[in-house]
Parts: sequence; structure tokens; C-alpha cells
Amino acid sequence: MIFLKLAFKNLLRHKIRSFLTVLGISASISVLFSIISFNKGFESSLQKELYRTGIHFMIVPSGCPHEVASLVLHGAVTPNFLNIEVFQKIKEFDEIEFIAPILITQIPNIEKEKIDLVYGIEMSNIKQIKPQWKIDGTIPFSDDSILLGYDVAEHYSIKKGDILTYENKRFTVSGIVQKTSSQDDAFVYMPLKALQDIIKKPNGATAIGVKVKDVDKLNTVIEEISLKIPGIQIVTMSQVVNSLANLAGSAKILSLSIALVAILISAIGVMNSILMAIFERTEEIGLMRAIGASKFDIFRIIIKETVLLTLTGGLIGLIMSLVGANIIEGFVRNFMPYIPSGKMIQFDPFLALICLFFSIFLGIFAGIFPAWRATKINPIKAIRG
Amino acid sequence: MIELKNIVKTYKRGAEIVYALKDINLKIEKGDFIAITGPSGSGKTTLLYIIGCLDKPSSGVMKFNDKDIGKMSEADLVKIRREKIGFIFQHFYLLPGLNVLENITLPLIFGRKTRSKEEIISLIESVGLKDRIYHRINQLSGGEMQRVAIARAIVSNPEILLADEPTGNLDTENSEKIFELLRLLNKKGLSVVMVTHNTELAKRTNKVITLRDGKIFY
Ligand SMILES: Nc1ncnc2c1ncn2[C@@H]1O[C@H](COP(=O)(O)OP(=O)(O)OP(=O)(O)O)[C@@H](O)[C@H]1O
Ligand SMILES: [Mg+2]
Repeated sequence: MIFLKLAFKNLLRHKIRSFLTVLGISASISVLFSIISFNKGFESSLQKELYRTGIHFMIVPSGCPHEVASLVLHGAVTPNFLNIEVFQKIKEFDEIEFIAPILITQIPNIEKEKIDLVYGIEMSNIKQIKPQWKIDGTIPFSDDSILLGYDVAEHYSIKKGDILTYENKRFTVSGIVQKTSSQDDAFVYMPLKALQDIIKKPNGATAIGVKVKDVDKLNTVIEEISLKIPGIQIVTMSQVVNSLANLAGSAKILSLSIALVAILISAIGVMNSILMAIFERTEEIGLMRAIGASKFDIFRIIIKETVLLTLTGGLIGLIMSLVGANIIEGFVRNFMPYIPSGKMIQFDPFLALICLFFSIFLGIFAGIFPAWRATKINPIKAIRG
Repeated sequence: MIELKNIVKTYKRGAEIVYALKDINLKIEKGDFIAITGPSGSGKTTLLYIIGCLDKPSSGVMKFNDKDIGKMSEADLVKIRREKIGFIFQHFYLLPGLNVLENITLPLIFGRKTRSKEEIISLIESVGLKDRIYHRINQLSGGEMQRVAIARAIVSNPEILLADEPTGNLDTENSEKIFELLRLLNKKGLSVVMVTHNTELAKRTNKVITLRDGKIFY
């Protein structure tokens, strides 16, 4: 207890230095904690969200799987269209319960002098494909109505009932999708027919979502389809989840390495400030040695001080990441290839505990060198000055 | 209990070698009350540090309870310092971050020893700090600080108390009180060696050792 008090007093002696050191630790622990929580949340919500769509696989023109995965979720614009016959042929399979052709493209919005991302879909399929959506207004029921993603509506300051014009065709905004914090916010949702007319590709589609009647037969259905229809590629939802998880995994590694570098730097900060403190307290340490402290006693006292510093930092870091979860979430979102809607950072007490243990470890690690230096202090020299 | 034979202590000051002690022979018996006097720079502190096992002689033999200090390990020396020797330094050297009680109990913590609260309180009372137990060090007067230093030096029940100018920073009245305190401790069986410039006080001890240029002057 006495040493803790002494450590505390010593840290208070240089308030600004201690504060900055603690701040460095808390910032890096906070980033680490957030990244790990974020990843856990990310994978589970991604899985949930994708499986909720009720679509088992997507049919897309041949291309690399990476591109496909992003197509399905980002709604990337690809130059290839599915053949008209593909659509007809797929309808013939008995085992298929439901198909949803999707056409994603860009169209100029002359009025606003912008190019809009337009997502063509049969409006009756919206509930199946985007079950998590909440809409202010209604899903369009005629070919001259559209739905807007939150960001588009926000950006153009458009309200329900307003008019948007594409290629001289006027569309009434029948509803606006509430914020999903995903790529869905960036689209204009147009009835498939209308979009096909505008780009003059009747029956054109960039992807077809398929739901089978019996999930157990999923693989046989996929095999049959790929045999009978050339020039297409099939991507199952689990493949998408995997490929996104991989992408997220590399993002995780990147962000973890950044966090680790930050931690290393803050650990060096701790080391530096403790070394300075030892230098200033040579006399005090020498005195303790002279009145009976062993080298190991001194070592322990210094380690206690560094641990006090890093543990305080760790605690503040955890509090910071809880309080600032939303800000950090927004920041981390920039690193992720696809973000499911909903909150990503979930508080996990076990993880918090691990982070605290990690700060203790960090304190010991950063303290070893200064503590070793402190044991080298010669009591007589220290006292004589 | 302590025996010094042909003790020499040299310091390097640049290329020059300084002889702080030259051929010191000395015996300290249990119950002794010894004063070391001498002009500034004559080697008093150096001698006290060697007696206190804080420093090692450059040559010569020093025995503590018939054991050769020169042949002891660092751990053994720590043990002797903790258990047998109490030290009062030339400038109080208290820890300003701790209060009176904490400063005094510090050696017990390093020595992994416990004494009951009553024992410690009565020790603090015996050095006249009854009302200062929880005071911070910087709230004390010089005389009070020296009392804290004395209490800290004897809290582990050492066999010998080494004091480097314990009255050096005090006025006559406080010097007298501190000296009386040391004499009282000596009467109770503690061996005391004190460095002092005050020849009046030195005369009142059992034995006076005068140093001059690192030698004992008779
Ligand atoms: N670490 C050191 N390096 C070099 N010389 C030293 C060192 N310590 C002491 N000396 C020298 O040794 C001599 C004896 O010093 P010491 O401190 O023992 O004297 P002292 O009698 O205690 O003096 P004072 O009455 O001023 O306290 C002095 O000349 C001093 O300068
Ligand atoms: Mg001296």
C-alpha cells in the first residue's frame, strides 16, 4: 500500500507528463478494444443479415468471385449483363421457389448534375431481399415511383412525394429507407421494368437472387444450373460471407497492426517517463536501498509504478471506447469493405478483462528496463549527490 | 562487535586518487557511545558508511560480529543493514510523499517484519512525535524531522545506531534534546556512533575519535 501511495504521489508530481503518458496508453488500448469488439460484432451481424435475406444464392455473369461478392453487397456497377435466356431458363427449374432479378447501374441525374447509383428490382421482391429495412412511406406500386436510400434523400434534400427525373421520365418518391448505415443508403431503388426501359435493356439484369424450395438440395440445384446454363457464375451466400469475412480479416490485421504500433509507441512513452522519473528520484531510491531495500524491492516498486500508469490508461481507454463507441465505429467503418446495419461495437466484459490484463502486461513490459536501471543506483553515490 | 583493521578508502577524482581514509584501526563494543569528530573532509562520513556496511573499503578487513564483511554476498549485506544497523543521514533524507508513520515503518516493510501498532506508536511517542503521527514531512520542523529519522533508524531494533551529524542542522536547544534522546537509547543497550562537529556534545560520550586527513588522531 505504501508503495502504491508513493507511486501515486510520484506520478502526481509531474501531472502533465503522467497525464500524457496515460493518455497514450488509453488511446491505444481503446483502439485495440474497439477493433476486437468491432470484429466480433461485425462477423455475427454480417452472418445474420445475409442469411435473413432469404436468398440462397446469386447468379451473376462470369467474373472473379471478389468482384461478385462486392457486387452482391456493395451494388457495384459491372459492365456485364446476364443474358435474357438465363432468366427464362432458370424459371424452368422446379426446385426454385423464388427468383429476384437485380439490375444495378449508373444513370445521370441532369437536374442535380450528378450520376446516381440506381438499383432496379421488382418492388414485390423488396421485402424478401431487404427484410431489415424500415421505410418512411411506401414501397412503390407503380412503375413511376421510386424509393430512395437515406443518404441520397439527405444529399438532395428530397422528401417523400417529390419528383426526380431520369432520361425525361418523371418518378415520384414514394418512400425513403431509414438509415441503415450500410451501402444501401447510397442507392435509388427503381422498379426493374422502368430501369430496363431507361437503359434500353429489356430483361437485362446484373444479378439474379435465387431461393430454393428445399435448402438440403441447394448443392444439387446449383450443380444442375451451372451445367445447363453457360456463361454464368453462382455465388452462394456462405461464399459471400466467407469472402467478406476474409476481407474483413485483412482489414482486421491491418487495423490490429496499427493498434499494436500505437501500443508499442505508448509503451515506449511509459518507459521514457518512468526512466525520467527514476533519474529525478535517484536520491530517494538510494535512500530506500540504504535503509534496507534490496535490489529486487526497488525493481518491484518501479514495476508497480509502471503498472499503475498503464492500468489507469487501460481503464480510461475502456471507458473511452464505451463512451465513444459511436465515434470509433464511424472511424473503423472506413476500413471495412462491407458494414451490416446496426450497432457493431458490443461490450464484452470478458474482452474488457483481457484488455485490462493486457495493460498490466504492458506495464510490466515497459517497466523492466527502467526498473533494472533503478536497481543499478548506488545508494552512497545517490545520497552524497 | 565491529572491528576495523587497516582500513583504506580511496576515491577517484578524475585521474587523481583521493585517500579518504588511511589505515584506520578501530573497535566498537556493544553498548559503546562513540563520537567521531574532525574537520570537514577528514573522512567522517566515509568511515561511518563503511561501519554501516553501506560502502566497502578499498583495502583492509572489517568484521561485523566476527564475520568478514568483505567476504559477504550482496544479499547478506542487505540483511545486516536491515536487521543490525540503524542509520541517520547527514541530511534527514525522509520521503516527502509519505507521512511520519509511513516514513518510520518503511524499514519494516523492506525487512518483511511486523511490529504491532502499539509498539510503533510507543516508539513514536518515545522520540517525542506523539502529535505528529499522520503529519506530512514538509509540515515538520528540523528537530522533528530528525526525530523521525531517529525513529526510522531504530524501528527494526538494530544493534547499532550510526548517526551522521544528527544535530548539525539544529539549534542548541534542539541539539541538546536530540543528544539526550541518543543517550537514552544508548542507556537502553543500543550502541551509538555519531559524527559531530560539536565538541561539547562529543565530550559527553564514552569515547571520542578524532579524524584528520583520513587518519585517527590521538
Ligand atoms: N564519491 C567521492 N568521490 C571523490 N571523493 C570523495 C567522494 N566521497 C568523498 N570524497 C572525498 O573524501 C574525503 C572525505 O569525505 P567525507 O565526506 O567522508 O568527509 P567528512 O569528514 O564527512 O566531511 P563533512 O564534515 O564535510 O561531512 C573528502 O575529501 C571528499 O571530498
Ligand atoms: Mg560528512
